[in-house]
Amino acid sequence: MKTFFPIIVLLAVFSSAFGTQCNVTPVNIPKQWVTMSHGCRSSVRQQIQMEVAASIQYLAMGAFFSRDNVNRPGFAKLFFDASSEERGHALKLIEYLLMRGELTTDVSSLITIRPPERRHWASGVEALEEALKLETEVTKAIKNVIIKCEHDNNSQGHDTNDYHLVDYLTGEFLEEQYKGQRDLAGKASTLKKMMERHSALGEFIFDKKLLGIDI
Amino acid sequence: MNAVYALVGLLAFSAVSAEVCYNEVSMECGQASNSLALPSCNAIYGSFGRQGNVANELQAYANLYLHRSYEYLLSAAYYNNYQTNRDGFHKLFKKLSDESWEKTIDIIKHVTKRGGVMDFSARSTQSTGAKNSTIELQELESLAHALDTQKEIAERAFFIHQEATRNNHKTHDPEIAQYLEEEFIEGQAKTVRDLAGYTADLKQFITANEGKDLSLGLYLFDEYLQKVV
Repeated sequence: MKTFFPIIVLLAVFSSAFGTQCNVTPVNIPKQWVTMSHGCRSSVRQQIQMEVAASIQYLAMGAFFSRDNVNRPGFAKLFFDASSEERGHALKLIEYLLMRGELTTDVSSLITIRPPERRHWASGVEALEEALKLETEVTKAIKNVIIKCEHDNNSQGHDTNDYHLVDYLTGEFLEEQYKGQRDLAGKASTLKKMMERHSALGEFIFDKKLLGIDI
Repeated sequence: MNAVYALVGLLAFSAVSAEVCYNEVSMECGQASNSLALPSCNAIYGSFGRQGNVANELQAYANLYLHRSYEYLLSAAYYNNYQTNRDGFHKLFKKLSDESWEKTIDIIKHVTKRGGVMDFSARSTQSTGAKNSTIELQELESLAHALDTQKEIAERAFFIHQEATRNNHKTHDPEIAQYLEEEFIEGQAKTVRDLAGYTADLKQFITANEGKDLSLGLYLFDEYLQKVV
């Protein structure tokens, strides 16, 4: 019986390589329209992984501010929302790659889930400043993708410019990054000013403001 | 007299919900100091976190959903490339991914609702280890994989529920049991049933008419999924 098992596994491995009775045989259609260069493609793939990592880091921040002895539901909401937003960014980049004829192979290796690096923050201000730092790193990474995609050697060794992706990243992603950074920076300043003399009350009031409650 | 107080205090302490928080407040507020620690003034009650099993399992459950959420997202992506081009399968996996993502956040919130601390490395005792699932699967294979993973998720809920409801046991926690029943178990039965139904249909299309219906069958089934998912 035990010798059968590896055979079955082996069969399963081989059968996915060929068409079986359950699959339509793969077809070939022209690929000239698939024009993203290798370096540009892999930098977008890295960016997707970075957005996923950011989404998990924000999950950890949401979890921390939900704790009973921290009790900042407004901050928790802000960070859980940010987490879903980062997931949304990863999704948008994936959809872009699909539009350009990518992700026909190597899909499994696109995303790896790792536990967040940090799980503890001393205060709301510290968390907001950390979020701002995280967004700044994401922005810098997007710029590097833009630089890579603006000048990359294609398979023929010619210098190519992926105008459309560069425009998309510049117009949509950078726009959102800058707006998001401004929002976080503004929140951090307001909170820091409130904290200067009334730290406990300041953070409490600011948290309720984030929840949309006026007290 | 003092001995009587001490005895009363001891009795109160050993009771199920002793006034431990109140006692700490009374004690610490009476001291001339600038800090209040009050470690017992927390949200932990019942068996949650005491034995650690239900608490740990719930955190592991959030982690399982998180992993599956991104895995389904990749499957959704794969079915949306120009070669596979199955919009119905794409929608099916996208929906599984979105639902799993929402559940992840919901469980994390519930862990903290009960005074727990979310550990993103928590693993279930039921975990079979990290399998690196392949995303690039054919239609029926991908449905089979979705069905298997959804069953794993549903059975995990049963397991945590069992831990939370075991009679005369240290892990009894009706609040967790009811949370699982309310938010997970019913919906999971539907998802598993839907996926099993899809595989049953697809199986027939594949074998019928000596396999000649295969390509049209897959096409039509994908169109159908676009409508119903």
